[in-house]
Amino acid sequence: MHSVVRPNSWVVIKLPSGVTKVLSIAPNTTISLGKYGSFPANLILGRPYHVTYEIQDKRPDENFSRLRIVPASELYEEVFAEEEAAGCSTLNPETVAPAADAAEITLVDDESGEVVTRSTQELIETARQTLTQDEIEELKREGNNAGKDVIAKLLESHTALGQKTSFSLAKYKLLKQKKYIRRFQILPMDAATLAHWQLEERESSKIMEMRAEMLALVGCWGNVHYGGEDVFLEDPKARSEQGAAALAEIQPDLLKGRWLVVDDTGGLLVAAMAEQMGILNSEDEEGGELKIGDAPEGPDITESAPAEEKQDADTEMADAAEGVAALPEKPKAPKPRPSDFEIPFSQTNTITVVHGASQPNLSFLSYWDFDAVSPNHPPHPLLNHLLTLSWLQLLKPELDTSYSTPPLTATLEVLSSWKPSRRGNFHRKRRRFARTRHIVDSTRAGGFNGLVCSSTMDPTSILKHTLPLLAGGAPVAMYSPSLEPLAVLADLFSVSRRTAWSSGTLPELAGKTTEELENWQGSENFPLNPMLLLGTSIQTSRTRRWQVLPGRTHPLMTERGGTDGYIFTAWKARPAEGKVAARGRFKRKADGATTETEDAKRAKAEESPAVESADTATPAR
Amino acid sequence: MASTVKQEVSPFLDPGSLTKANSLAVIQLSRDNFVPVYLKQIDGEHDGYAEGAVLNTRFGSFPHSTLIGVPWGSQIRASKVDTGSRGRKRKRQGGDDATEGASSEANESKNQKSDQANADSANGTKPPLATDTSGFVHVLPPTPEIWTTSLPHRTQVVYTPDYSYVLYRLRAKPGSTIIEAGAGSGSFTHASVRAVYNGYPSEGKRAGKVVSFEYNEERYHKMQEELQEHGLKDIVHLTHRNVYKDGFLLNGKSPEADAVFLDLPAPWEALHHLSRRDPKKDDGNQTEWISPLHPKKSAHLCTFSPCIEQVTKTVSVMRRLGWIDIEMVEIANRRLHTLRDRVGLNLQVDRGVNNSPRDVEEALTRLTEIEDRFREQARPPKAAGEDTEMGEDGSVKQEDPAEDPALNGKPKSEAPKPGPKFPWQDGRLITRGEPEIKTHTSYLVFATLPIEWTEEDEAAAAAKYPVGEQKQVVGALDRKSRKEERREQLQNKAAGSRKTRKKERDEKIAEIVTPS
Repeated sequence: MHSVVRPNSWVVIKLPSGVTKVLSIAPNTTISLGKYGSFPANLILGRPYHVTYEIQDKRPDENFSRLRIVPASELYEEVFAEEEAAGCSTLNPETVAPAADAAEITLVDDESGEVVTRSTQELIETARQTLTQDEIEELKREGNNAGKDVIAKLLESHTALGQKTSFSLAKYKLLKQKKYIRRFQILPMDAATLAHWQLEERESSKIMEMRAEMLALVGCWGNVHYGGEDVFLEDPKARSEQGAAALAEIQPDLLKGRWLVVDDTGGLLVAAMAEQMGILNSEDEEGGELKIGDAPEGPDITESAPAEEKQDADTEMADAAEGVAALPEKPKAPKPRPSDFEIPFSQTNTITVVHGASQPNLSFLSYWDFDAVSPNHPPHPLLNHLLTLSWLQLLKPELDTSYSTPPLTATLEVLSSWKPSRRGNFHRKRRRFARTRHIVDSTRAGGFNGLVCSSTMDPTSILKHTLPLLAGGAPVAMYSPSLEPLAVLADLFSVSRRTAWSSGTLPELAGKTTEELENWQGSENFPLNPMLLLGTSIQTSRTRRWQVLPGRTHPLMTERGGTDGYIFTAWKARPAEGKVAARGRFKRKADGATTETEDAKRAKAEESPAVESADTATPAR
Repeated sequence: MASTVKQEVSPFLDPGSLTKANSLAVIQLSRDNFVPVYLKQIDGEHDGYAEGAVLNTRFGSFPHSTLIGVPWGSQIRASKVDTGSRGRKRKRQGGDDATEGASSEANESKNQKSDQANADSANGTKPPLATDTSGFVHVLPPTPEIWTTSLPHRTQVVYTPDYSYVLYRLRAKPGSTIIEAGAGSGSFTHASVRAVYNGYPSEGKRAGKVVSFEYNEERYHKMQEELQEHGLKDIVHLTHRNVYKDGFLLNGKSPEADAVFLDLPAPWEALHHLSRRDPKKDDGNQTEWISPLHPKKSAHLCTFSPCIEQVTKTVSVMRRLGWIDIEMVEIANRRLHTLRDRVGLNLQVDRGVNNSPRDVEEALTRLTEIEDRFREQARPPKAAGEDTEMGEDGSVKQEDPAEDPALNGKPKSEAPKPGPKFPWQDGRLITRGEPEIKTHTSYLVFATLPIEWTEEDEAAAAAKYPVGEQKQVVGALDRKSRKEERREQLQNKAAGSRKTRKKERDEKIAEIVTPS
């Protein structure tokens, strides 16, 4: 996130009514905020985030509105006046400046400096607003000091203002402000803002109603963090006649800081995780230290460049790129072109997304200028750190065409005889093959540092196939909007199941090797190996928002309903081989069949021979 | 020990694939019972144990050598360790004391003494460790979550539901700098280190860091020790200071923070240090005032206070100092347990089983049985034979064996529902909350402070992005311009290929057809 608005970046505009708009700020356009007015985009480019802007009246010689930054003291004018009137202010109680000189009408009575309060709760039966709608429209059309005049007029023309209690007067004023004041705020686009916008104003079902607190919890319980310096595999320098044998081998020692993700929230989860891993925004943006003068891209360049790139078709671009290298008359490319089998992915700090459809749905990443399926992408950190594969590629790669079809090969002579477009296709296919091979093979090599899920699929089936891929001690965090699937999942790891499993008496486990147990494919009684997860737990979190105003502090009256959301957390375990008996001071149960019911007596009985044997061992040394 | 830890990446940030000596590991005894242990590779006797450092738990004894060099997450069997003779020779110590002794530095001198005394016995070959018949633990890599549940409490702890949300709202990312005041027990410190970590600081790179302050001297030293042991000293800059009085600068320099977390009793007394410019300019202070905040980034702030009075005071001061988007929330977190609710007449008598009818049908069957039996007993014994006037007892006894299989409903009612074969499939799956829940931790107040925007900045931005050449309108449009845009689009399309024209026509037809 950078400190100022940059051209063609996505931003969130917050309006006085609380509504947020998501816009890409293109230079030399006019941004219209509907009834709140419009202004030239260039007036917010290069300007800071989070501050409140006011759309001013058009100057007589200009056909657009200029903006003004509203200082915080003006935003809180009213609260300050109230605090001072009530004498509860902690700062400078002497400098009580009642609202006489303020531009806005406040709740404070001009002469006495006291809050206008009515103790009697008189009912206000009918609307007392004397201004008609036409008159209000007329006022709005005239220069009106960014809506403040309208509000002032409205309050003036209200006949029963004096009958309102301070509470209802404050409410009335707030209502009118939301409607008429021409202010807005610009927020930077980050995962939290996007989540909030989707949840509150778009389709919350698209992000599985994932609230901020759940997104935060999933990230923490999944232990998502920066996974180390980038490490790239060496380019195998494969020549065009070399096939799959020339691919760079997976080196399991290099694979570090990798998270496995199943994301059915359209990319929100991936975006949030990428943010926590520092791969969502490009480097210079992270620093945020850009001075206004030396931004790398001028408005005129950025305006046209992305648009052009998007228009270009896949093959044309590949072709063009190839043309540069193949034709000697173009004196370019001081750096040698990487071979087709070069792996562009870092071996560390990566997110591997497993998706159910043939293409991953990560559409929300477009708000950070990343397109998962675009073949010729401008530089973006996710390009090297986001790996996607389908369940088919993960579980039955031999059935997947792009994985199992051997790469095209051709000698240089044959290659140079081809048309550029055919040559481009040739290289593109070989590159895709190398990428797919690498993604699938490295994922199947396992050793992931965490599993984070927010999926509509059955969590049991996800775990069945992903548990063997996790490193020991790796956390599992699964989100679900409803409790039931997670409860069923947690029940598969119940104490009685674990006890039965580790007792060594189950016929279905007889003769199974550790590896077979690790890759347990599920039976009727044991859909999952209950020993593979530790500390399984389900939790839910909910925030409650409060209004904090002098003398009027209370929780908000209404908030979004729907689901609270639940997460399942656990750690991957590596069970010891063979029968493992628990020890503990449990009370004897009636049946006493399971090892869990061993009582203290037995434990003591076992301890005493242990002491003896140790005793005999010590003198021997 | 400390010097070896310093070179390596903290186990919190990258634990590697195997457990290591001289590093922190967390032993999970049972579901919510974690013990942090600094694994020590000690050959020879240690603290009275022939096996070296030993972790004693109620689930058995675990020499550290069995815990070192294993994959994380491993299940470790208990070993047969001579705890008895050690107890007799020395002053009696509980198992828990021994655990602490193994991990704390305080016992170092004692250990050395015993090491010396037993030096002769230690140079023989190491006896193989015998695995005990029962008892096991799991060894887990430390994470802020586990640490939070297992850390030694010094103050009120900021738990995972709170700190996860706080870090999310503070927009803590790799490379951020967080100011934390009131390090306390260190749970938030560990979580924020993970959030801002983007490599250990080196030259030419702005690494994320946590700038932490602690007022209490004892806690400061404890915390310092902990950071050293956890390999986090280079990322956390801990200072012993009263921030109300002395502010947040480091050696007179700004830490350039973009996020602030205040877990202080009176956050409003520290807030004035966190401005962009000196809030008390008129005091005649000659020295230049330096802001601890990053000059080019919006600052996000969170205060953590348990009482509502603290909140109102804090918010009031925040407003005066120009913080915006002030919002107060509290977080309610619940953990849910899943269990099998076993209700029924025919279930095995076991703990947690409710032996009452499962449903109306079962109750009805049972009642009918009782009623039948009762009626049977009350029935005049005429069915037994012709000689009715003989003793009742005899007739009943004769009858019972004959009628029993038909009358006794028990086997009958059990037969149609063969209960699940396994106890873990019995009963209905239910979830319920913990027996005790945290209903209030603290109020979280969030606020943002935008960057300073001077007239020069504005002039520079205005020069770079001159206005007056607006071509296109984006965002909300009024009806007139929307129509115009649509018309333009249509015109452009119509000029396209035949295919698009046909599509256009089809769409129009569809539009005309559908309303009718």
